[in-house]
Amino acid sequence: MTQNDAPNGTQASTANATPSSGPHGTRYDVVHETRYAYSEAAFTSHNVAHLMPRATDWQRLEGLELRIDPSPPTVQWQPDYFGNDVVFFTILEPHDKLVVRVESSVELLPRPELSLTQSPAWEDVATRLRSDRDETTLHAYEMAFESPFVPRGEPFADYARASFTAGRPLAKALLDLNARIHREFRYDPEATTLATPIAQVLEERHGVCQDFAHLMIGCLRSLGLPARYVSGYLRSADPKPDADPQPDADAEPGAEGLVGSEASHAWVSAWCPENGWIDVDPTNDVVPSDRHIVLGWGRDYDDVSPLKGVTLGGGAHTVSVEVSARPIEASP
Amino acid sequence: MNLAVEGHWDETVRPDGAPSPAWRQLMDALQGLGRRELLLRWERARQLLEDNGVTYNVYGDPRGVDRPWQLDAVPMLLDADEWAGIEAAVSQRAELLDRILGDVYGPQRLLREDALPPELVFAHPGFLRPCHGLAVPGGRHLHVYAADLARSPDGQWWVIADRSQAPSGAGYALENRVVMSRVMPELFRQFPVRRLANYFQTYQESLRRIAPEGRESPRIVLLTPGPYNETYFEHAYLSRYLGLTLAEGGDLTVRDERVYLKTLSGLQQVDVILRRQDADFCDPLELWGESALGIPGLVQAVRAGRVTVANALGSGLIETSAIMAFLPSLCRKLLGEELRMPSVATWWCGHPRELDHTLAHLDQLVLKPALAGSPRASGEPVFGGELSAAERDALAERIRARPHGWVAQEKVALSTVPTGDEDGLQPRHMVLRVYAVTDGDGWFVLPGGLTRVSSTRDSLVVSSQRGGASKDTWVLAPAHEPYVSLLPKAPGPGDVARSSLSLTSRVADNLLWLGRGSERVEAGVRLFRAVFRELSDEPLRPADAPLPDAVEVVDRMGRLGADEGEAPLEDRVLAAVFDREQPGSLAASIAELHRLAWLARDRISPDSWRVLSRLDQEFTAPTVHPALRASAALQTLDRSLLQVAAFTGLAVESMTRTLAWQFLEIGRRLERATQGVELLQATLLEALPEDSRRLETLLDSADSSMTYRARYRASAELPLVLDLLLVDELNPRSVGYQLSGLDERLRALHRAPHDAVRALLARVRETPLDELAALEPTEDGPRRTTLESVLRDLATGLPEIANALNQAYLSHSLQRRQGPGFRPEPA
Repeated sequence: MTQNDAPNGTQASTANATPSSGPHGTRYDVVHETRYAYSEAAFTSHNVAHLMPRATDWQRLEGLELRIDPSPPTVQWQPDYFGNDVVFFTILEPHDKLVVRVESSVELLPRPELSLTQSPAWEDVATRLRSDRDETTLHAYEMAFESPFVPRGEPFADYARASFTAGRPLAKALLDLNARIHREFRYDPEATTLATPIAQVLEERHGVCQDFAHLMIGCLRSLGLPARYVSGYLRSADPKPDADPQPDADAEPGAEGLVGSEASHAWVSAWCPENGWIDVDPTNDVVPSDRHIVLGWGRDYDDVSPLKGVTLGGGAHTVSVEVSARPIEASP
Repeated sequence: MNLAVEGHWDETVRPDGAPSPAWRQLMDALQGLGRRELLLRWERARQLLEDNGVTYNVYGDPRGVDRPWQLDAVPMLLDADEWAGIEAAVSQRAELLDRILGDVYGPQRLLREDALPPELVFAHPGFLRPCHGLAVPGGRHLHVYAADLARSPDGQWWVIADRSQAPSGAGYALENRVVMSRVMPELFRQFPVRRLANYFQTYQESLRRIAPEGRESPRIVLLTPGPYNETYFEHAYLSRYLGLTLAEGGDLTVRDERVYLKTLSGLQQVDVILRRQDADFCDPLELWGESALGIPGLVQAVRAGRVTVANALGSGLIETSAIMAFLPSLCRKLLGEELRMPSVATWWCGHPRELDHTLAHLDQLVLKPALAGSPRASGEPVFGGELSAAERDALAERIRARPHGWVAQEKVALSTVPTGDEDGLQPRHMVLRVYAVTDGDGWFVLPGGLTRVSSTRDSLVVSSQRGGASKDTWVLAPAHEPYVSLLPKAPGPGDVARSSLSLTSRVADNLLWLGRGSERVEAGVRLFRAVFRELSDEPLRPADAPLPDAVEVVDRMGRLGADEGEAPLEDRVLAAVFDREQPGSLAASIAELHRLAWLARDRISPDSWRVLSRLDQEFTAPTVHPALRASAALQTLDRSLLQVAAFTGLAVESMTRTLAWQFLEIGRRLERATQGVELLQATLLEALPEDSRRLETLLDSADSSMTYRARYRASAELPLVLDLLLVDELNPRSVGYQLSGLDERLRALHRAPHDAVRALLARVRETPLDELAALEPTEDGPRRTTLESVLRDLATGLPEIANALNQAYLSHSLQRRQGPGFRPEPA
């Protein structure tokens, strides 16, 4: 994905307006294609995919087409534990490639303004979380514990405390932490892998959006606050009508107009009783609005990885992923 | 005789302090037998357990996978009144835990109503989110349950552990009873001991009842993690006793949201899975992705209501001891009753008061992880009193950092029970495991159980992993009960057809290799017998003399091991026979045969298993005077030959002529043909050495001397020997006989390499005998070139047949995982 060089100095930017946002929201065409190639015939392959953009109060799914090659005999749609739509499919014929392509049309509506003043002191939220037993609080509480990719621990709490000072409103502290991770960590796709523990990310101060999201979730949970992992897309750069060999100085990396996996993204959602779930993107130091398209959420990457499968046979395999999320001009 | 230990309840004493009459009667009976007789009987019990292959695999034990089960001579006694209390308490607890699971994997009202701390669910790795909301037949998650009970110094029983994941041990309890009733029959006439069989009948019925879509004769499998699991013996034993197919994850596959057993005759739908594998290992797609033991898609099949898993996936959650702190109130809330039997005193540190209590009494408590229950996140209990002050502080620090992850429990001063050892009876601490199975609306409790005792008088740790023994557990009835058993089920014709259909590819593969292994051992024994005969004929052979002919042959066949130059010939030969560490040695082949039989143990008769265990035990280098080593070895080999023959005979003769038998036979034919070809290649390609007894050795090694003499009444002549050993399809030792037998066996299999077998058979049949026997001049001197070419074709053709069979029927591709391998970032 892209690292968006957000304007420096405005660490608490709550929204970034873009040219194509209209009065009715911003519409996107999203394409996500995953292609496996096998060195030997694969026999059966069982798969589960989190590839359907989730409908929310501010995100409408207007169309979706799923193409799987070779075509599976049946495809099961099923909500998962977190309410994300999941697709199960099994290939039973011998195959040497597997292509899963999802094309969707999504409309992003304006989200409510994040009110910093309404937000209670973060310690109060942590306390209420442990004692309140209403359904909403319980759901939030579930996001306050360890999960496979996110341990809790003193080093994470310690890092977070510079932002979470005594009595500070949760939303403010959250935006501060968001900005600090953006500022203090270097975006480096070569430095980490999926298996890099977040303790190492914290120590070495580099990684990619998934690492930053997991780290921030670990920081919040280590303070006893709920946080969830959001999997989605970030708007692709606009294709330039005239190919310009020199990218603009203020353009995003990856803004050469390439279509690639760069549009896949991950960020964080934190909970506050008064504000509900607040999305923050520590990779870019922004509060997601009309550029972030949500696929789904869970405790961490493990709950929402886009495509998981178990294959019998197949030998060695290569995988390539193509993702784009392009805004569509509102029809006149 | 005083068997009490100060500060502990003595099981032989009644609550009022008087000696228990039943125990007194038992002790008198044991004493009446006399010490010598008792020891004899105990040796017999030990041998029975070993012969029956009753083992408990101890992780990290140098004896490896095959540690014999320990059974103590003195049973544990429980009288009817006491048992009634235990029975009611265990039933109630099973019901309670099942209701809790139903809520946690359903509406979660207990969390909203603050009856159960949400931390114990949400932070628990055993809470399997993909299993939330899955429909379970009859609303039951729990079908089998076990409780570990201990008795405190005041005589009160306490529950110290709940087993809901995949309770183990009922099979061992059953085997304990079987052995006990065989070595102590008079005691069972004297005591009205309640029988165990009704429990297993209920178990069978209960498994049938939970089949989805009300299927009339459901297919039920027992899912095992495999032979390396600690209680694999029990999996094989129970599956046989309950009439279930024993299956590993790799034997099952999901298609179209249905679970199928991969058998030689195709896929057979499975309706119920009795699960002896931890849930998170069961489906790498939705549960733990690293599991190589799972069945991808299983959770989807359960979700679709096409298969029932017992216990339901996720049931392990309530094994956390933390839940014990909440059971009294949960019992009142869910069942409207008081909890009948208390749990050991438990403090869950997630609440501030309990945390304070724990930290203040660390030295008196046992600390356990509250959120274990998954093998990947388990932790050993810590005895606070055994820690130094500094260690205790460090522990307190860890608890404060993550209080909801800890639970403290009181140490139970376990009761003692008389236990036999070499010096007579000794008090040992004990824990009783009691089993319950669903019985429609209620629960049926096994009238008995598994009593385990500590390995030493002072140890309060009772664990089979740590070497503790077990006891048969007698619940005394007011009167004798009628006899029921499921064991000697006479197979009807329908059963045979059924077992043949359910032969899994894995088992067929094991049987084929078992057949091959037994033939390889037999061929080796015969060869080395010829060698030792030669060696003992010339004990004073000079060191630089040429190799005796039989040794030469064995060497050519690659069975002698490398010549290091230094070792005397006899030592080399002995190593090739007795050194287990030497690759390809006879001892190594026997160990391998033992292992193969062990893998196929649920398919071969107990008698054939017993014979093989003896062979493996006996096959050690004879410790005798050096001058007599060869003759001692010869004796061992003679005995071994009888044992291998007994094994093969029992294995083959006691098996119904099903597919399982076919594969065992195919393995035998393939290997015997291979051995025959190798033997001929090593002996007959060149001109025979002068004065050699090679033809006699050859006939002997191929067990055909008698046939030869009966048929030809002449000294050995080459064309006749060749005919008898290669071509003659009436001689069960000839290569031709193996090929025609193979041809016949393969007819039952559609995808077998029929043509390849027939081609080899034709090659043997159609080459004229005089051409086979003829010597042709070559660069290396005269050789039987036609024979050489036929044998070469056989030597390459036989492995190809084995490969083709493997690919058509037996291949097991490894499962591999593809993702979540990529990241949302460009890599």
